[in-house]
Amino acid sequence: MRVALEQRFGPLAEWRSPRGLFTGLAALGLAVLVVLALTTDRFLTVENIKAILSSASIVGIMALGLTFITLIGSLVSLAIAATAVMGAMVFLAELHLGLVPALAISMAAGAAVTALQGLIIGAWGANPVILTIGAGFLLSGITTKASGGVIVQPAGGGYATLNSTPLGVPLGVYVMVVLALILQFVLKRTVLGRRVTLIGENREAARAAGMRIPRITAIAFAIAGASFALGGAFLGAFNKGASAQLEGTATFDVIAAVLVGGTLISGGRGSALRTLAGAIVIATISDLLLLRGFNTGAQILLKGVLVVVVVLATWVASRREGTA
Amino acid sequence: MSGRRRLGRWLRPEAMVRVLSFAVVLAAYLLTPVYHDHSLSDFDVFNTLQGFASLGLIALALGLTIIAAEFDVSVLGMQALGGVLAVKAGADSGLLGVLAATAACAFLGAVQGGVIAKLRIQSMSVTIGTYIALLGLTNVIAGNETLTFTNTGAAIWINQTVASFFSPRSLIALGVFALVMLVVGATRIGPELRALGGDRRAGRVAGVPVDRRLTALFAVSGALAGLAGAMLAYSNASASLNPGLGPLVLAAAAAVLGGLSLRGGRGAIWGLLLGALAVALLEQVFTVTALPASSAQIVFGSLLLVVVVVDAPDLRSSLARLQARRASMRQLPHEIKPKAQRS
Repeated sequence: MRVALEQRFGPLAEWRSPRGLFTGLAALGLAVLVVLALTTDRFLTVENIKAILSSASIVGIMALGLTFITLIGSLVSLAIAATAVMGAMVFLAELHLGLVPALAISMAAGAAVTALQGLIIGAWGANPVILTIGAGFLLSGITTKASGGVIVQPAGGGYATLNSTPLGVPLGVYVMVVLALILQFVLKRTVLGRRVTLIGENREAARAAGMRIPRITAIAFAIAGASFALGGAFLGAFNKGASAQLEGTATFDVIAAVLVGGTLISGGRGSALRTLAGAIVIATISDLLLLRGFNTGAQILLKGVLVVVVVLATWVASRREGTA
Repeated sequence: MSGRRRLGRWLRPEAMVRVLSFAVVLAAYLLTPVYHDHSLSDFDVFNTLQGFASLGLIALALGLTIIAAEFDVSVLGMQALGGVLAVKAGADSGLLGVLAATAACAFLGAVQGGVIAKLRIQSMSVTIGTYIALLGLTNVIAGNETLTFTNTGAAIWINQTVASFFSPRSLIALGVFALVMLVVGATRIGPELRALGGDRRAGRVAGVPVDRRLTALFAVSGALAGLAGAMLAYSNASASLNPGLGPLVLAAAAAVLGGLSLRGGRGAIWGLLLGALAVALLEQVFTVTALPASSAQIVFGSLLLVVVVVDAPDLRSSLARLQARRASMRQLPHEIKPKAQRS
């Protein structure tokens, strides 16, 4: 029996290997998704697919940045929403300089405040979760004060470009895809990317190899902060204004996208393309539930369950791979 | 044993942190009449304890997991779920509602803890997922609407003044603290909890039933957060569907002010109590001085940043390295310094 099966499908052990487990789970999930997609009215229309991509784009842009923080072994940032709101405010307030300068200033500001957190975490090993909660709270307080508690209005018309839809697809989707490709290249093909991954995989080994952990951590955080601000700029442009209300559930949506993509939360394993997939999967599922008449509660519930399942599967897979 | 050793224990940084920070906050509180036009009354103490009742149990739930070197983000979700369940189940009997909320959250916590223990996975990642799922579950149960608590009798009872300073709510919170302090202090649970956080492998070898303790720990954490949510919902006469990150910030502030090390293995329940009281006092100071919410955010955010940096494991070694480098620079005569080769 076993021999016959193995002749047909390859060695059984391979199916039980971590990669097999992971692929199996992913295939099962995908199959369920496809069946649901085929049986749901109005799902497989061009309009709906555009809607999915566009709802994935803002969370996706920020999640791509967060991937660097997770990969380098600093778990997650809980200051994502606060940084994004700051990015939105700076972008809208500086629009009188023109679109590109406003975007650049906003991203630089996001990179700077986040890099500072990365520097402290990298240099002194401070607890990233508590540090980023504190930093996020501080940032929220400062932005609320600086804006005088009112909604920041766009200081120029450039924001409309971010809402444009070249070839019928929102600009944010292009930005998300291009950013994913760039960051994937950085992670897999540059020295910086290799270092980020190695520090996440084995901090002591990286230290022994003479890597400048504080500096590299700061750079990884800077990339994350710039993308939080970029996502925030899109958010601000979409809402034609920015206030603390914009924070919403962004922080946990972004974390969910990274984790559902299958990036290992303890670092060292993951990629930008996985995060891109995670963001799109979450948006697809939310859309499916919406079309099938489920309320937002059910969408959030399923998102949470999905995060738990993928986190556990990723962990089991990585551990078996480690001991094999 | 000897007096000096006792004194030494009190002078350890983590003991200093909790006593000093509490003293500073208490001074700020007692001095409010000096820098602000406001005289302290019994009502201020009552209000402070009401604030403590809201945040104390969440701080205890999070703090217990921090001592064991875990981090339970799901307390936020348990709080929301507890509130909605209590409001639903407590329409006729307030007690039933609280029991239902606490039991349900304890059960969910136990399941979560069992999985974390079995797979030996970092709890933060799992609890982030369960936090999101619990928020969803809360929304589903509540039908996506903020629920009003119709049992006005229970709502009034829980907030009534007892002995001018207390309310049943704050007394329950203080009682739970006393109970946990007793259990952790007088039984093997205390050392076992610290062993989980300090050196888990050694604990396992020494005979600590690690998996069972972790399961129980997350069950207790869930139960405490559910109870806190239930009482808060009664007190507000409505159950909020999303508490936001605020309670986690206050709980984390209470934990670190209470002298808990974020690396785990260290901390005492009385320290946690002082930390939670300090945060409640601070909130009360902000209330009476009418400080805007954004300023309070800045204060709590900066506070967390400072404490987390002081707690950072590599801070001391890196400062020592810096000092050593400076000292060696001073000793080096100028001529030995390498000169630029290019010309």
